[in-house]
This record gives sequence, structure tokens and C-alpha cells, in this order.
Amino acid sequence: MLTASHLTRRFDARVAVDDLSFELPAGEIFALLGPNGAGKTTTLRMLAGLIAPSAGTVHVAGELMSIDASHLRGRIGFLTEAPGLWDRLTVYDNLMTYARLQGVTAERQAVRTALDLFGIADRAHDRAAQLSKGLKQRVALARTLIHNPPVVLLDEPTAGLDPESAHETRALILRLRSEQRTVVISTHNLDEVDRVADRVAVLRTRLIAVGTPAALRARLFGTRLTISLAAPAAQYERTVQAAGGRHLRIEGHTISLALDGDAAATPRIVRALVEAGADVLSVVPDEPTLEEVYLRLVREEPR
Amino acid sequence: MKRIAALLVKDLAELRQSPGIFIPALLTGGAAILYPFVIAVIIPYFAGERLSDSSDVEIAELFYRTEPSIRGLNPEAAIQAFIFQQTLALLVGLTTVTGGMSVAAHSVIGEKQARTLEPLLATPLRTGELLAAKVIGAALPGVALTTACFAVYLALVGIFAEPAVWKALLTIRSLALVFLIGPLAALLGLQLAVCASSRVNDPRSAQQLGAIIIIIPVGVLQVAQFAAGVVLTAPILLAVGVALTVGNLLVLRAAIALFDRETILVRWK
Repeated sequence: MLTASHLTRRFDARVAVDDLSFELPAGEIFALLGPNGAGKTTTLRMLAGLIAPSAGTVHVAGELMSIDASHLRGRIGFLTEAPGLWDRLTVYDNLMTYARLQGVTAERQAVRTALDLFGIADRAHDRAAQLSKGLKQRVALARTLIHNPPVVLLDEPTAGLDPESAHETRALILRLRSEQRTVVISTHNLDEVDRVADRVAVLRTRLIAVGTPAALRARLFGTRLTISLAAPAAQYERTVQAAGGRHLRIEGHTISLALDGDAAATPRIVRALVEAGADVLSVVPDEPTLEEVYLRLVREEPR
Repeated sequence: MKRIAALLVKDLAELRQSPGIFIPALLTGGAAILYPFVIAVIIPYFAGERLSDSSDVEIAELFYRTEPSIRGLNPEAAIQAFIFQQTLALLVGLTTVTGGMSVAAHSVIGEKQARTLEPLLATPLRTGELLAAKVIGAALPGVALTTACFAVYLALVGIFAEPAVWKALLTIRSLALVFLIGPLAALLGLQLAVCASSRVNDPRSAQQLGAIIIIIPVGVLQVAQFAAGVVLTAPILLAVGVALTVGNLLVLRAAIALFDRETILVRWK
């Protein structure tokens, strides 16, 4: 549905995005992660046809995107970083204007549906300036989706929202996937990415890593276990190493270890511990947070 | 066309929420209306002299002889008609353009500053459609204001000037000036202001440019009318109309070429 191929953007001598490629099918949620200035917003703008790549191409449903491809912009919904509502107009008029600009047929019906869908029907005749930040973001999302675009680009969709509004926004993003839309999210919110994204691309001008959150964890940290014992764990260090445990961290009654991709090692290690007389209280997969993954990727990447 | 209408409706709805933006244009219109009355009615009244007593009315007399619409008037009324006719260009020129200039100057930079431009540009709206909506949205209030001022002008002339002077103003020439030349001139000036609004970081820069666009040509025209006796005859108005139409088309093409979506999004902060 959305393909970026060797996407590069320079601003004079500065390279903002360097040789970025990915292919997104319908129904995938793809997250762009990266520090400030990593090129996330520039990438979204190129995907939306707002700015042209210095090199490379974007295809939407097989058609080449360009600044002049106005009809293709109608196939994309772009939630910009700021809600960008016309403050003096009512919520209804904001949405109606966009319905008309997007060439929606039965625009009144589309606006009414959007108002109901996003739970803002009771505020339809309030001016946008009177809304809270969370409500403005909801109206902006309604505007982004008013023309039912198959591709949705979301720049920091939950930035500055309270937990409840952020939760509602995430629920909406998940609904977009069930509607088979392709969604690209640019965000700093790693928890959000973990909850909604099918794949993650870590950017720092160029693509550092791309994959599912689980694959990135496994790639960087391997599979780790935490084993809790009834007795102090230090006495079983050699037993665990002999059974295949690597990179041991022992603290009191717990041992944390890496399996280095050896899935069969878990029962072997547990068996060895039991045979050595240890009382095993629990064996828990030790998953690094996405934040740990992200920080390791970004810190290891030369600037 | 539908997208132009959508943006136009939006812009006009926003303007309805900010009527204060038209105060400068109302004051300008009021001053432009008052100015010929000072010359043609108020000063002669307080001086106790009639305009036709003055020896400095050769131009008016020339006009009196050549203009069919005032041939039936007495000399005093003819001179008044001459003055009201000549200053009509000032009223039209100033009010039409001033009425839309602040709107035009804020048009693109205003959207940018309100952070509403990026979502707007992310729609299928084409550059020509965006600029057309912005220019028309700025011109419509100015044209409406000028029409209202012209009606007030005629009414006041009917009340305070010599009888039948107001009829002498209701010529094709006057109507062409108000409803054709004025709007065309406004479109040209406002296109330049919208163009400037899409190239500068501050609406004040576009407004200053707009002020130059208004003041210089209207000032030159007034000097030419009263000092050199230039009369806006039908052939002159036709030529001006053609020139303004061509000018509008050229400026529209230039504005589309100069409007750089990328620069506006990336350069402006």
C-alpha cells in the first residue's frame, strides 16, 4: 500500500533523511522512532507529498507520489504534529471544510458520522478555541480520517494528551488496523509503540533498525530468563553455566541469564538446577523494555 | 471549483468572527467620502463663495463641455459633478484595496502562524486553488464595502450637493469604475499581497507592500486628475480594464510559480 524506496532528503548541506526504504502492506501499523531531528517528520512529509525527496521515491497504492500529485494526497490522512484547527470556527465547520476540500460525497453525513465516531457530537457547535487539548486532538483525528483514507500518517498522535485521551487515541489507531488501513506513526512514546505497532523503524537520519518489537528485543538482547530460587543463587552459578546459561547476573536469590537463541536451554537449565538441589520458585522470561532496545540502538549508532 | 468554494466559505466565516479587521477600511472609505464634500460643499459654504465664481475652474469647464451626463447642469452643479466624479476613483481605489489588504496580507502567513497551513496543504487542494480562494476571499469584503460606500456617497451627494448632481454620477463610467475597474485593481493588488504573504515570515511585511501598492497609483492618479486634467473617459477605463485583466492573469501565473509549498513548510518557523 505504501512504499518508500531509498528515500533521501537534504536541506542544503544537511542530510535529514538518508536512504530510507520500507514497504507497508494494508493493515500494518508502522512506527517511526528516533531522537529529535532524526528525520521522522521529514519522512512523514515526504510520504504525504508535502515535500519532495532529494532522491528516492514514494508510491501509494502503486502510484508515484509527488508534490503535484494532488489526487494522491486525497488517499492519505495526515495528522500533523499540531492539531491545526481553525480556532474561530466551530468543530462542525472545521470538519465540513475538510470534507469539502477532500471531495467527500455526502459531506454532511460524513461529518455527522465523524462527530459520532469520535465522541464530539455534543461539542459540534463549539468553537475550536474552546476545546481542551485532548478534544482538539480528537477533532484533528476526525479531520484526518473524514475522507476514509487507506493510508494514515500520524505525527506524535498522543503528545501532550492525558492518559485517558492517549488511551482512546491508541484504541482508535488499533481500529484503523482492523479496517485494513496502513498507518505510520511518528512518536517518542515507546510504550505506545509497544502497544500498537506491528513493526518499528528506528531512525537517526538513516534507518538503524527495523522489525517487530519482539524481533528487535531478541536481536539486541537475545532471550533472557530470570530464575528465582529459595536459596542464595551464587552457589548455582557454575551449574547454570554448564547447562548453557550465558551472561549471568546474580542478585540474592535470583539469576538472570541469556540463552543466546538456544530455546531448548530453558528446561535443561531448570533440570540441572533441580538435580543440583535447588528449589526453583519461578522461571520468567526476562524481556527488556522497548526503551532499553531503543536506547541501545540509538547509543550504539555513530552520530 | 468546489475546493475554492470550500476554502472561501471558511475564510469568510472566519472574517465574520473578526469584524474589527475592517475598521481601517471603513475609516478610509469615510475619509474618501468626506474629502470631495470638503472641497465641493463645505469650504464654499463656509467661505460664502460659489465654485463657479472661481476663475480656477477651467478643467471643470472643459469637462462640462465634453461630458454628456452633465451638459444639462448649471455651472455650479457641473463643477461639483466634476469633483465628485474625479474623486470617485480615490474612493474606489482606496476602499476596495484597503478592505481586503489586511485579509490578503494575513492569508497565507496567517495560516502558517496558526499552524493550520500544513494540514491544508496535505489535502488535494492545488496551489492555484489555494491562491484563488485567498485572493477572492480578500477581495469580496472590499468590493462589498466599496459598493456600500458608493451608495452612501450617492445618497450624500443627493442630499448635500446641487440638485441632479447625483444623477450625473450614475453613468456607465462610474459604474464601470466601481464594479469593474475597482474589483480588477483590487484583485491585482490583493494577488500581489497574497503573493507577498506566501513569501514573507511576517504579515506586516505583506501589509507594507500592500500600502505601497495602494498609495502610489491612487496618489499619482489623483494628481493627474486634478493637476493635469486627466479624465477617466470610457476609452481610458476600457484600456485600464484590459491592462488590469492581463496583469491579473500574469500575476496569477507568477504567484503559482512562486508559491513554494516546501519552502513555506520547511523554512518558516
